[in-house]
Amino acid sequence: MAYLHSAKPVPGPAASVASRYGLALLSVAVAFGIARAFLHFHLPQPFTALALSAIAITFWYGGNKPGILAALLSLIVRGYFFESDLSVASRGLYDLVFLIFALLMTGVTRARDELEVRVAERTAELTQTNLDLQLEIADRKRAELELRESEAYLAEAQKLTHTASFALDMANRVIIHWSQEHFRLFGFDPKDGFPLYEDVQRRIHPDDLESMTETYQKAIKEKTDYKLDYRIVLPDGTMKHVLTIGHPVFNMSGDLARYVGTVMDVTERKRADEEREALRQAQADLAHANRVTTMGELTASLSHEVNQPIAAAVTDANTCLRWLMRDQPDLEEASQAASRMVKDATRAAEIISGIRLLFKKGTAQRELVDVNKVIREMVVLLHGEATRSSISIRTELAEELPQITGDRVQLQQVMMNLMMNSIDAMKDVDGTRELIIKSQPGEDEQLMISVSDTGLGLPAQQADRIFSAFFTTKPHGTGMGLRISRSIVESHGGRLWAADKSSRGATFHLTLPTKADAQK
Amino acid sequence: MAIQGNTKMVSIVDDDDLMRSALQGLLKAVGLQALAFASAEEFLTSGQQHATACLIADIRMPGISGLELQAKLNAEHCRIPTIFITAHGDAKMRMQALRAGAVEFLAKPFDDVALIESVRAALES
Ligand SMILES: Nc1ncnc2c1ncn2[C@@H]1O[C@H](COP(=O)(O)OP(=O)(O)OP(=O)(O)O)[C@@H](O)[C@H]1O
Ligand SMILES: [Mg+2]
Repeated sequence: MAYLHSAKPVPGPAASVASRYGLALLSVAVAFGIARAFLHFHLPQPFTALALSAIAITFWYGGNKPGILAALLSLIVRGYFFESDLSVASRGLYDLVFLIFALLMTGVTRARDELEVRVAERTAELTQTNLDLQLEIADRKRAELELRESEAYLAEAQKLTHTASFALDMANRVIIHWSQEHFRLFGFDPKDGFPLYEDVQRRIHPDDLESMTETYQKAIKEKTDYKLDYRIVLPDGTMKHVLTIGHPVFNMSGDLARYVGTVMDVTERKRADEEREALRQAQADLAHANRVTTMGELTASLSHEVNQPIAAAVTDANTCLRWLMRDQPDLEEASQAASRMVKDATRAAEIISGIRLLFKKGTAQRELVDVNKVIREMVVLLHGEATRSSISIRTELAEELPQITGDRVQLQQVMMNLMMNSIDAMKDVDGTRELIIKSQPGEDEQLMISVSDTGLGLPAQQADRIFSAFFTTKPHGTGMGLRISRSIVESHGGRLWAADKSSRGATFHLTLPTKADAQK
Repeated sequence: MAIQGNTKMVSIVDDDDLMRSALQGLLKAVGLQALAFASAEEFLTSGQQHATACLIADIRMPGISGLELQAKLNAEHCRIPTIFITAHGDAKMRMQALRAGAVEFLAKPFDDVALIESVRAALES
């Protein structure tokens, strides 16, 4: 309280020294004047009483030193002008009276000064307290305003993010906080106050109520966080998907006091997820349809191509018969026709086993292909299919893999078929279901891709037949997937093979040249 | 079984080597001489079209197709009785070919008797 030191005793230094000592002179002079006036009118002289008053006044207004001066002056004036005939003893008595009075007056003024200092102190204290109070009030007002503002922001944020908040008193089982957004979400009117637990329950979708109550009660019992995923149905029939997260709050003694948490409206997100899933499904279906179409086209093309040598064979056979059925059979000509028949039939067989037609010069599109990109595209495409069978897909793709020259769509087909085979093989196995696709640079300007799974593994005893056309162990399989894939890879100058028995599942490897023109 | 003179020549246009040999062999067995060409272009540049009394052609060939060949010959006022042999015998194509003067339209594999009859008819006309 530093300011107390500057508190001024009365009279303060402001009253000049001259005026204070002047007061001593003046007051004694006035006393003297009045006393003389009394004598002039033959009245008893009152100097002593007046002098005492002058001393008192000087002490009070002029301070101690001027007061003492007034006492001394009075003493002298009295001794000189009044009753100068008095004995020494009585004069001394008078002097003593003045001195004692002066002494008493110093005490009085000191007491007065102290009192004044104390009053000043108290006043200062009170002023300060008042100031503090005013500051505090201002602070509080500001805090209140800020609180109201931040509450408004929070409400806005809750509205924007469709996230409501709540707090439950677990001792009394009542709601103690329930945000505006919460009212809106559950379709209650804030004017009616916090809803009852039963009212809230009535909003929950009947199919979700049981599992929700279970989770909730388990969390209360174990005093843990909880996360609930359920639907609410509003009186107008609107259904919403919500996600609730609750967090326990404990009191000093460690008992569960409250649950605080959030309720998020995830209806939109759910819908978007569903739409995305539907889209992915459609894509997968389309890809499958594509493959089936390709198969259809392939079959049509295959039959046309095989028809050609067969027609030749039929003609040659007829010719052969004509030479033999003559009156004089011409064996020379007949055998020539027969050897043409052999060629025809061989060609037909070649077409069927090699499916050469697919990759006749000019049919395939040659462009620069980023194999990693092809893999990633197929992973995205088959993601839904894999998830449905609880299969996780992992890729280990070498960065900076050189591009290859080839037909992107055909390579997609190869990846698709290998991945679909793996997915098919894992659909019915227990344990981990993982599809791993790796790409890495290999030797001799080749790159290597491998597809491995944790599925059934290759069919026992028949592993060498899987690449044959029409070999399948699936009820709706065409048995052409691997056959076509191998042809595609070979037409790109690469190789496709199944790894020797892996401990679990199956692994397929394929190599592709990164440089060469694969057309051979 | 006298061999026909050069004026009664048969030409075969087919991109498939096996088919060409088979047709040539068949005609030889019935005593007919035939020249074989691997494409319509080859036939047109050979100059043999004017000596050809009957043409056996495939419809689907790389480059000029059988139907285009027929149209070209018609444009050159070189109307040769033509027998089409094709794997893709759809009705529309058949109508188009016959309207443009084709004498026969056979699907592979074809009946050799029908072919020979058509060839003979063409040569006698
Ligand atoms: N990853 C694999 N794990 C176990 N067996 C496999 C695997 N890949 C292929 N096979 C076996 O090889 C056979 C032939 O596969 P291919 O892709 O050629 O035809 P598919 O898958 O049966 O029919 P489609 O490809 O038309 O669905 C399969 O039926 C299956 O028995
Ligand atoms: Mg397959």
